[in-house]
Amino acid sequence: MPHLYIHIPFCETKCIYCDFYSVESTDEKGRFLEALLWELEERAGEAGDTVFESVFLGGGTPSLLDAGQMERLMNTLRKHYRITPDAEVTTEANPGTTSLEKLRAYRELGINRISFGVQSFHDDDLKFLSRIHTADEARESIANAHEAGFDNINLDLMFSLPGQTPQRWKANLEEARQLETKHISCYSLTVENGTALATMVRNRAVTMPPNESDALLFERTMSTMAEWGFRQYEISNYALPGYECRHNLGYWRLADYLGFGPSAHGTWNEHRRWNVSNLRSYIEACERKELPIAGGEYLTREMRQEEFIYLRLRSEGINSIEYEARFGSDFYTDRGAQLQPLLAGELLIDREGTIKLSEKGILFADEICTRLA
Amino acid sequence: MDLIRNFCIIAHIDHGKSTLADRLLETTGTITERELKTAQVLDDMDLEQERGITIKLHAIQMKYKHTDGETYTLNLIDTPGHVDFSYEVSRSLNACEGAILVVDATQGIEAQTISNLYLAVEAGLEIIPVINKVDLQSAMVDQVSQGIMELIGCKKEEIIPVSAKEGTGVPDVLRAVVERVPPPVGDPNAPLQALIFDSVYDTYRGAVVYCRVMQGTMKQGDEIKFFSNKKEFEVEEVGILHMKKIKTGELTAGDVGFMIAGVKDVGDTNVGDTITHVKGAAEKPLPGYKEVKPMVFSGIYPTTSDDFEDLREALSKLRLNDSAINYVPESSAALGFGFRCGFLGLLHMEIVQERLEREFDLSIITTVPNVEYLVYLKNSGEEVIVDNPSDMPDPAEIDYIVEPYIKAQIITPSDYMGNIMKLCMDRRGEYINTTYLDPTRADVEFELPLAEIIFDFYDKLKSVSRGYASFDYNFHENRQTDLVKLDILLNGEPVDALSSIVHRTKAYEWGRRLCRKLKDLIPRQMYEVIIQAAIGNKVIARDVVKALRKNVTAKCYGGDISRKRKLLEKQKEGKKRMKQVGTIEVPQEAFLAVLSIDD
Repeated sequence: MPHLYIHIPFCETKCIYCDFYSVESTDEKGRFLEALLWELEERAGEAGDTVFESVFLGGGTPSLLDAGQMERLMNTLRKHYRITPDAEVTTEANPGTTSLEKLRAYRELGINRISFGVQSFHDDDLKFLSRIHTADEARESIANAHEAGFDNINLDLMFSLPGQTPQRWKANLEEARQLETKHISCYSLTVENGTALATMVRNRAVTMPPNESDALLFERTMSTMAEWGFRQYEISNYALPGYECRHNLGYWRLADYLGFGPSAHGTWNEHRRWNVSNLRSYIEACERKELPIAGGEYLTREMRQEEFIYLRLRSEGINSIEYEARFGSDFYTDRGAQLQPLLAGELLIDREGTIKLSEKGILFADEICTRLA
Repeated sequence: MDLIRNFCIIAHIDHGKSTLADRLLETTGTITERELKTAQVLDDMDLEQERGITIKLHAIQMKYKHTDGETYTLNLIDTPGHVDFSYEVSRSLNACEGAILVVDATQGIEAQTISNLYLAVEAGLEIIPVINKVDLQSAMVDQVSQGIMELIGCKKEEIIPVSAKEGTGVPDVLRAVVERVPPPVGDPNAPLQALIFDSVYDTYRGAVVYCRVMQGTMKQGDEIKFFSNKKEFEVEEVGILHMKKIKTGELTAGDVGFMIAGVKDVGDTNVGDTITHVKGAAEKPLPGYKEVKPMVFSGIYPTTSDDFEDLREALSKLRLNDSAINYVPESSAALGFGFRCGFLGLLHMEIVQERLEREFDLSIITTVPNVEYLVYLKNSGEEVIVDNPSDMPDPAEIDYIVEPYIKAQIITPSDYMGNIMKLCMDRRGEYINTTYLDPTRADVEFELPLAEIIFDFYDKLKSVSRGYASFDYNFHENRQTDLVKLDILLNGEPVDALSSIVHRTKAYEWGRRLCRKLKDLIPRQMYEVIIQAAIGNKVIARDVVKALRKNVTAKCYGGDISRKRKLLEKQKEGKKRMKQVGTIEVPQEAFLAVLSIDD
């Protein structure tokens, strides 16, 4: 079943590492919401009778929408799109923007999953990452979410921060567990082009940890989470059984999805399309009653095969029967020459027709994708 | 014959040879200013224009009405301007009776000015000294004139001041050509002797031979043969060279022109060879013919093995026009199938590489260039020619090795003498002599192993002299020296394409630097890479590229998928450009690592 993604491009301040599209002023929030509602209404025809199994509000900081704004958004969504009653409806949220009252309202509007950008429970880390909240505010927000009735809570945490010891990182994981979150995303801090962090690294104001210690933290994360009963169902994502994010699974299973808002991508019937990555252009296009499309591509069979291979390798593995059903050819025939040495080198394992990264292979997922895809 | 003048222009690179040639054509009305456009007529290959070097020779005929009322035929024969082509230069000079020596008024006499002048004097040419760029502020007319007078022993009045750019002085040059250059001598009825000074390949006609008739007459329909290879052909067409070829039916003693005789292979029409008739042949060829021998060798491999046939095709096409290129198939354990190629010199090598990439759109890997060694074996006393380091026989079997030496002429402001001495000594040079051209400029002579100058010597020379020193060289002799083969091993496996031959005293330092350089060039990968330099079984240097421990993108969601796929495709392309040595991926640059080792 397909999925819906909505991008809310506002942030109080932009974090030094983030390369998602956002603006640091909320002045245009009202105008933006009108534009977004227009886009949702205008594109309803694309979906037709399709039933959607998840909605994801990402950003930016969707929790900057107040209860009234969120209500209008959810109402418009439900009016124009058929969303299954048991759908997963997630919003991303920044601790520090989520009062108990707001969270209660969100919950009442049918939002049933919340994903907090916590990153760390150490204030100096948060300061370095230029997060707007403190560790205590994060703890409070999570408590609020529980109180507002959210059971399905995710925390984003970040490892391989400069100077981060394995002990400090482990403390973050332990705190997340104590706060009874059912899902934890653990990202290795990555220096993305065009971010403030990239400039700091270039100017040697910041030195990133060496590859060895990044690997060590990643390995420790995997073993700790496994010990606690969290399943690593994607490179950076761990969940208790039944709490896997259905929306994100959709991406990794190559399901169709529609994307709304600036910079949002969508994939529908083998076409991918994306909106302009600029708030002003987005608003102005919608106000002119024009779709704010920036570009698109038709996904050829070859492209879809590549995407299938790398998205599946990063998550549940490549099932050869599903591969054949999708592409009408045999995976072992198509990729045999590349597959053989990877299996022989124990970077991949083949479990009854499903090719997965081995424990060693997980550390080299990119390298393996490059060889296999 | 009295109304013919055959001449050439010799100069150091960038002293204005091509510009002056253009002005002569323009002043004699051979070409209009509009036709001249911005391009310099005598250099018609892209590459030549970019480098400012005339790689291939051409000739052109001008009609000039002199003050005595007579119209003269002036044949301008162009000469290549680089040291790699000095033999070809000498043959062009032999087709002339006079040479215009151009010296830049802002630069003065340079190494190439002198080496070309020597060649011209050797060929017995009348020298017309010209001082160019006199319009520039920085022109040092008096000082440079003084240098020219001392160099060729002429009077001050004989030096013609010119600004080829502005056109001033150009009529004086034309007058001087008529008045000072002697007319050709020769007997139109004597047995035919025509000197080949160039040949180019025409897809429809075969080899087009550019020649100067010294004796006798060559007509359309004549049966002719080449002295060097005794091959016989029938002349299909002869004529002269204006902006295009003009058929005349015959060329006679004193004439410069072209000849087409259905020769399929330019390898049969060798520069310096003599054409004569099959019947009534001349007794002897013209003196001075040499077979051109490659001096510098390197392996050229396609980046992807599928392109091997395309590379072969491209090389065979290049050879049609440039018989100096030699190539034979070879195979390397590291690089697969490719060709061992021989070149006249380093510049020639660079030109061939560039043409393969630009004109034939090939992606190639070139191995470190080397010279040709003669290896004498202990037991059999046999002589083995080694032009590929990996072919070096086992050290235990070698009695001794000889390598080619050159005589280098370096002209430098005397301030940089110390630096240049040090550079040449570091390159195993042997100091011969210094002559002062004037109190500030010295002409230094060194004998150096050719192997030591085929990479980065010229760049180093320029950098230690702030760009002021100039350099020219000639092959000198073969010498016995203490050479060893240095192997590079990756994870214990020797990589043949990285082997080199070095002097024993330099081997340790060289090995150490090479390992360090390779460490920088080989990216960290899934497995540790141990780099070793070894002489025989003895490891003399070692470095390690630590294994990468993690290579994983953290995030991949809906908006990342297209970008990630494109990145993946780019990385796949990048992998294709790597060479797989066992489980190790070695980037192409590594095979040229030696070239970029800093001191």
